[in-house]
Amino acid sequence: MTRLSSPHWRRTAAGLITIATLAACGGTGAAAAGDTPTTGGTIIYGHVQEPPCIFGGWIQQAYISRQVLDGLVTEAEDGSVKPWLATSWTTSPDGLTYTFALKDGVKFTDGTPVDGEAVAWNFDYWENHDGNSTAKVSIDPYYQAAKAIDATHVAISLNKPYPPFLTLITQGYFGIQSPTAVKTKSEQENCEKPIGSGGFIVKEWKHGEEVVLTKNPNYTSWPATAKHQGPAVVDEVRWKFVADGVSRYASLSTGESNVVYEVPTVSWKDAEQRYQTIRYITPGKPVSFSINTKTGPFTDKLVRQAFAYGADRKAAVEAGFHGVIPYEGNPSVSQATPGYDAEVAKAYAYDPAKAGQLLDQAGWTTRNADGVRTKDGMPLSIKLVYGAGFIFTSEGATVLQVLQEQWKQIGFDVKLVPATLAELWGGKYSDPSTFDATPSYWTSPSAAILWIVWRPSTTASPNYSNRSFYNNDTLSQTIQQANTEPDVTKANALYGQAQKIIQDDAAGVGLYTQNSTYAIAKNLKDVWLEKSQGEPVFSDAYFTK
Amino acid sequence: MPTSRSNALGRFAGKVVSSVGVIVAAASVTFFAQLAVPGDRATALMNLQTGQEKKWTPEELAPLNERFGFDKPVIVQYLRYLGGLFRGDLGTSYTQKRPVTEVIGGQLLPSLTLTVAALAVAWVLALGVTLLTVKRGRFLSGLGSTWEALTASLPHYWVGIVLLVVFAVELRIFPIIGGTSASGTVLPVLTLAIPLAGFLGQVTRDEFVQVLEQPFVTTARTRGMSDLGVRLRHVLRHAVLPAITLSGWALGALVAGAVIAENIFGRPGIGQVLVTAVNTRDLPTVTGIVLVVAAIYVVANLLVDLAYAVVDPRLGGAR
Amino acid sequence: MTAATLALPRVVRLPRIGTVLAATVVVLVLVAAVAPGLLTHRSPTAIDLTATLRGPSWAHWFGTDDAGRDLLTRVIYGTRQSLGIGLGATAIAFLIAVVLGFTAALAGGVVDGIITRIVEVAFAFPALLLALLVIAVRGPSLATEIIAVGIGSAPGYARMVRGQVLTVRQAGYIEAAAALGHHGFTVIRRHLFPNAMRPLVAVVTLGVGQSIVWASGLSFLGLGVPPPSSEWGALLDAGRVHITTSWWLEILPGLVIVLVALAVTTLGRTLQNRLGGASR
Repeated sequence: MTRLSSPHWRRTAAGLITIATLAACGGTGAAAAGDTPTTGGTIIYGHVQEPPCIFGGWIQQAYISRQVLDGLVTEAEDGSVKPWLATSWTTSPDGLTYTFALKDGVKFTDGTPVDGEAVAWNFDYWENHDGNSTAKVSIDPYYQAAKAIDATHVAISLNKPYPPFLTLITQGYFGIQSPTAVKTKSEQENCEKPIGSGGFIVKEWKHGEEVVLTKNPNYTSWPATAKHQGPAVVDEVRWKFVADGVSRYASLSTGESNVVYEVPTVSWKDAEQRYQTIRYITPGKPVSFSINTKTGPFTDKLVRQAFAYGADRKAAVEAGFHGVIPYEGNPSVSQATPGYDAEVAKAYAYDPAKAGQLLDQAGWTTRNADGVRTKDGMPLSIKLVYGAGFIFTSEGATVLQVLQEQWKQIGFDVKLVPATLAELWGGKYSDPSTFDATPSYWTSPSAAILWIVWRPSTTASPNYSNRSFYNNDTLSQTIQQANTEPDVTKANALYGQAQKIIQDDAAGVGLYTQNSTYAIAKNLKDVWLEKSQGEPVFSDAYFTK
Repeated sequence: MPTSRSNALGRFAGKVVSSVGVIVAAASVTFFAQLAVPGDRATALMNLQTGQEKKWTPEELAPLNERFGFDKPVIVQYLRYLGGLFRGDLGTSYTQKRPVTEVIGGQLLPSLTLTVAALAVAWVLALGVTLLTVKRGRFLSGLGSTWEALTASLPHYWVGIVLLVVFAVELRIFPIIGGTSASGTVLPVLTLAIPLAGFLGQVTRDEFVQVLEQPFVTTARTRGMSDLGVRLRHVLRHAVLPAITLSGWALGALVAGAVIAENIFGRPGIGQVLVTAVNTRDLPTVTGIVLVVAAIYVVANLLVDLAYAVVDPRLGGAR
Repeated sequence: MTAATLALPRVVRLPRIGTVLAATVVVLVLVAAVAPGLLTHRSPTAIDLTATLRGPSWAHWFGTDDAGRDLLTRVIYGTRQSLGIGLGATAIAFLIAVVLGFTAALAGGVVDGIITRIVEVAFAFPALLLALLVIAVRGPSLATEIIAVGIGSAPGYARMVRGQVLTVRQAGYIEAAAALGHHGFTVIRRHLFPNAMRPLVAVVTLGVGQSIVWASGLSFLGLGVPPPSSEWGALLDAGRVHITTSWWLEILPGLVIVLVALAVTTLGRTLQNRLGGASR
């Protein structure tokens, strides 16, 4: 098969990919790799977490499902939405109906056509049949219905205008599967080998070891952001699961892998010198503390603000992650998200004196024998519950310990409570009485994430994602307005207002952004990251010799 | 004490029956223990499927509750589960959506290989060091003792990481991501075998020393048997008794060690499956693994008893 | 006197120097556990973001970690928890084992059968699963680790105790003692218990070392004591990712564990040798 060597009109430039050093090209002293492209070969990719099924609502599933499933649209580097399975689309003037024109002749790998019916079926599957709850929660409550108009057109109707809609459906959760496959094959088969129209097909899943993907030779539906036209250049991708960071990174040096995910931050400098590296800052809610505003010491705004001032979060993050992961002062939206308000992020710079003043003002004036502030005989005790191991690596845990020590100096007694997966996901810490602060993140390519996280929780419609238990009607209205505002500038201004409300009230305290880092061997070119969530794309990659 | 054949057969049959009982009991304990873990199972499953941690509304949880019968009374769930066991149906994994037998099956062989090989290597190392150095003068004895004490004190994953960094990363003798290949199995086996060898060696050495003082040893020596002959023919048989008993236990410790070794060396195995299953409260998989391990233990127990009886004839009829 | 006390070469003692060294280490460890402030003036949680990841030097004998904390101080302060886990877990395991093992071996019959079955069932649980379950139910904490490691180790000891008691029961001198008219409890106290337990002294002291090592394994899986604890296993877990760039974080605490376990074992065996001579 031939590879068209057209000029690369989608370079990996600015925007969210902050560092993409391609050291080999142009002869900057690289030893091993030449520049002659070859076809074929096997990419060995070292990933970390093995998902339960290939497709699903967890980001770990989006990473791999994107290799085998295509989406309707994709997000480009500059944030605009570009064609993929849909070649073009129109929006009705009232913003309620999106009509997509699908690329002609695309087939799933089981031979059935990717037509209007198939697309509509998938939307219905996610929304109404538990197909993908993350997909569902991203577009609820705006989504109404999807209907095929003819073989190449599908219309999606909303019940309220929702400009972020297109950006949100660029995520991997919205990959299109063959309805025939889902309907006729067993649950196990669909879990292990979902059928899509993507650049690769799942050949085999050796549990605990790797998933073997082979190239789809009949691939015709690459996204507009692809770096070349045509099916994948390599024959196979072996998606390995290597949990240990040291092993994973070291496997690059012995040639046991060609690309690895999550480079240990201590090895980042070394990686930048020896390999190609990509650092992706995830849009959405950054890793930030949700502060319990409903019960406990943090019901008092002054105490919350003192908490924010009281520790040098920036220095802690930089030390803990060796400068690789950026500090994020904005608790509700990360710097990689459109609509991010940089001014808001500057608030609460480290000021222990001010923190002390605020606490005195709030009545926490006396200290007990351990140096912890007290008020009415109660110590200023904070339970900080965090997901040990799976949300916070040991480096993240160091950051927390540094903060704990600093908070101790101004009189907070912060207890770090590592929670296991079973406990967190079993709901042990869902009640406000069980924690005072808890860090978490949520990936989303749009500031509309604000609605998911900060929608007020009512008895009629509880919002369990609102971990600050913060019900602010002004905030609610601002976000809803922003969500339906068609003019982007105005919408971003409204999102900015929402971020300001949250920051001023210290309902959340910023910490760092969620990141993905990759190191790629020098002789493997054109591995790039998809913009909305940072998944690696291998269908354009090729080896050089 | 003489044992008649029907006696032995009867004892064996009794053992088989009690083994089945052990397995059922083990499975029951796990079943109820999983229920004691805090949090609601449907919530945990939902969270796993979506990668979020939050509470869900009853409507959102309803399909899961219905499908897996979480909302049925406990006793019904228990009986349903036991019934499935006797049919040989270990259930379907909540999270991987495939039969538990499949989940375990694929991972069992690598773990068994690792565990058995580690035990074998540990025995060879332990016996070797003990035989060569016990009671052969202060220096050699001291050396052997110290070596065993040293290796027994090594934390598993510390050994693993050091071996990995030295032999795989720096010296490149072995692969880093070994998978199930032969060369990829050497380091994991050594990781588990070395500390265990120290432990077994120490215990054997102690018994060895004690037995060397027994009257029958003196008798053998006065009859002109060589030192090595004494060691091998008489003393060894008795000295290995505690170590044999410990081997049964060692298999269990090795499973724990296997999780660590599998993690460090990127090896598939039931250790990893177990940890993930406990973390995601995938009850069918957890109990499936427990049962398989229980079955292995039962077999190991039988072998240990046999070995014990063979080695120490005085105990032949006492059980 | 029994036949066993006919003159035989005494058990060779371990090199004197070894015992002295071991004793020194153990004393240091005990001081570190009880009064860590005597060994270091620093605080184990005092951070210094300007001095992170420094290698061993005169100022910091063990170097510093990624928060600038002095590693030696953290090791010293972690002694209490690590030793506590080792001692506590072994004590629990031993207690359970002695009760079960003796009862089973001496009572015989149905009681023996039941206890053996219980031990077999307990055996059926990979020690890790037991620990995971206990931790899942109670949450990670020092007490949980002690209980988990203790329960996990008990079945093995129980079986050993039972085996030993059975062996000793068959031994000539027990029958001799019985023939001499000593009965039941006296036989147990004077002959059975010491002789059955003697080989186990070494095993138990090994066990303390093993428990410390085992607990570090739990920390490795992220199930250990919560931060900012500097329990040795937690230190190993944190140091792991730095092994190729800041080796002291992983190697030195590991060496400490090995050294302490080794010292405890050596002392235990010295003790055992002395005991061994006396009770014959």
